[in-house]
Amino acid sequence: MLKLKVQKRVADKKINLDGFLNTILFIAVFIGIWQLAYLSGIWPKVSLPPPIMVIESFYDLIQDNTLLISIGMTLYRLLIGFAASVVIGVGVGLAMVRFTGFGKTMSSFAIGLQSFPSVAWIPFAILFIGLNDAGILFVVIMSSVFSVMMSAYSGIRNIPTIYLKAAKNMGAKGFSLFRYLMIPAATPALIIGIKQAWSFAWHALVGAEILMAASIGIGHILLVGREFLLMDQIIASMITIFALGMIFDKVIFAKLEDKVREKWGLRQEQDIENR
Amino acid sequence: MLIVSNLDVPLQTNEKSILELENIFKEYSDRKNKTHTKLIVINNLNLTIKKSEFVTIVGPSGCGKSTILNLVAGLDQVFDGQINVDDKPISISPSTDRVVVFQEGALFPWLTVYGNIEFGLAIAKVPKDKRKEKVMKLIEMVQLSNFTNAYIHQLSGGMKQRVAIARALALNPKILLMDEPFAALDVQTRKMLYSHILRIHEETKKTILFVTHNIHEAVALGDRVIIMSPKLANIKKQIIVNIPRPRSIDHPLVESITRAILSESDESFVNGGVAEIEPDNVDINNNVIPTVR
Ligand SMILES: Nc1ncnc2c1ncn2[C@@H]1O[C@H](COP(=O)(O)OP(=O)(O)O)[C@@H](O)[C@H]1O
Ligand SMILES: [Mg+2]
Repeated sequence: MLKLKVQKRVADKKINLDGFLNTILFIAVFIGIWQLAYLSGIWPKVSLPPPIMVIESFYDLIQDNTLLISIGMTLYRLLIGFAASVVIGVGVGLAMVRFTGFGKTMSSFAIGLQSFPSVAWIPFAILFIGLNDAGILFVVIMSSVFSVMMSAYSGIRNIPTIYLKAAKNMGAKGFSLFRYLMIPAATPALIIGIKQAWSFAWHALVGAEILMAASIGIGHILLVGREFLLMDQIIASMITIFALGMIFDKVIFAKLEDKVREKWGLRQEQDIENR
Repeated sequence: MLIVSNLDVPLQTNEKSILELENIFKEYSDRKNKTHTKLIVINNLNLTIKKSEFVTIVGPSGCGKSTILNLVAGLDQVFDGQINVDDKPISISPSTDRVVVFQEGALFPWLTVYGNIEFGLAIAKVPKDKRKEKVMKLIEMVQLSNFTNAYIHQLSGGMKQRVAIARALALNPKILLMDEPFAALDVQTRKMLYSHILRIHEETKKTILFVTHNIHEAVALGDRVIIMSPKLANIKKQIIVNIPRPRSIDHPLVESITRAILSESDESFVNGGVAEIEPDNVDINNNVIPTVR
């Protein structure tokens, strides 16, 4: 059994290495095409700077600490908005389970609001709260809270009755039923909802930072780039946004999901191959 | 010779009774139909179980066995009649007095073997070190020491049921209720679990109420086999199984009693149990007859 595990690890590593080399190759080809497009002269330098200019822009942004501060501020907003969404979403989700009538009504609203475009909240937020951080947070929360809410609601409702029966039979009720049974039993569903909420929050935040004229943040660098026609800066911040999203999705959430699935015995051989 | 009796004969032993079911009547109302048809599942059931007794209830699928266990466990509180544990109505005794081992095990996949067994103790807020001592003892009892930290999906069906038994015993219930706990297992594994549960009964002297549709299983395990009538759950016969304990599951009497029950039962029943009998092993000339009440 141990041997099998080791073999699997080795296989995993090999796949990872292959994947890494493929990524490098892909990036190299992409940069090559980009350079050729620039050299063709179809686009003026303002519209399409060469790769080297973007790298220089990165260097400048790092040099004067703009990039670091912006990333820090953006992540700070994201974290607060996301945390608020999780707390509110789980809380309301539980209330929906507890009060059946409210749950039914709320879930139809929540399903609709879940797919409501985040930028569509922005004008409302500006007038309702203002052109400030609180307004940005409002947009972030409204864009992500319903995913958490729905996953908590359906995750708890879909707990097999046999688990509830067994837990009650062993003395669980009220808060202990919630803490020891409902939350852990609903975790796989909750993680999917939370992951979705995170990416919704991320989309909403960047949009809100651009449109609500945040004074610091990645969105702000993009805005400045547009206003001063600095395409190299725009591309540099786009790459930053891409990299951040990638890190969260692939590293943090994928690992979390993987761990839960493995624990629950939901992970299949296919998953390992697909990674 | 077996006697058919619909009434529960008062116990003549000096052992104390621990569970009493008096005039139990239970119906389910079918809400799907607008006509509100009512389905009577249990009609005037009386049953008394002594302390440390191993009682098996056997009956075909759908006769109301799970319903009886749910009532005793307190999982369903809507019924007519009276259920007493230690002379007190179950409504005032904690549900952890009567813990159920379900057919599907109902183990929690997010917890390890250790965590599952610890579950009831954690809810009862038993101190951590005391919990550990208890859980480790139980893991040893069901012989799963090598799997203490394994997750449920890593266990075989038989191991899962052993964890379920240990989990139920952790709360030190007065009565262990078992609802067809071995029905989903293959014959080989089942036999092994018979030995386990017989040994555990021997070691803990727990009162066990065990429900099954398998006559052979009921005879092999029980001190007393309660045979239900196929429809309206009521007692058709009771048979005292006088096979001495500690008991071997291969005791020749097990086969002959099983045979005797089968030959007297109606068709619907035979289907459930006959597959378990290996005719070659049955000693028809065996003249030791089970005691009759
Ligand atoms: N919750 C319920 N609502 C309506 N009918 C039920 C319910 N539970 C069980 N029944 C019916 O009661 C009868 C007895 O069921 P059950 O106690 O599960 O039988 P067994 O465990 O012996 O197979 C069956 O006919 C079943 O369809
Ligand atoms: Mg049943």
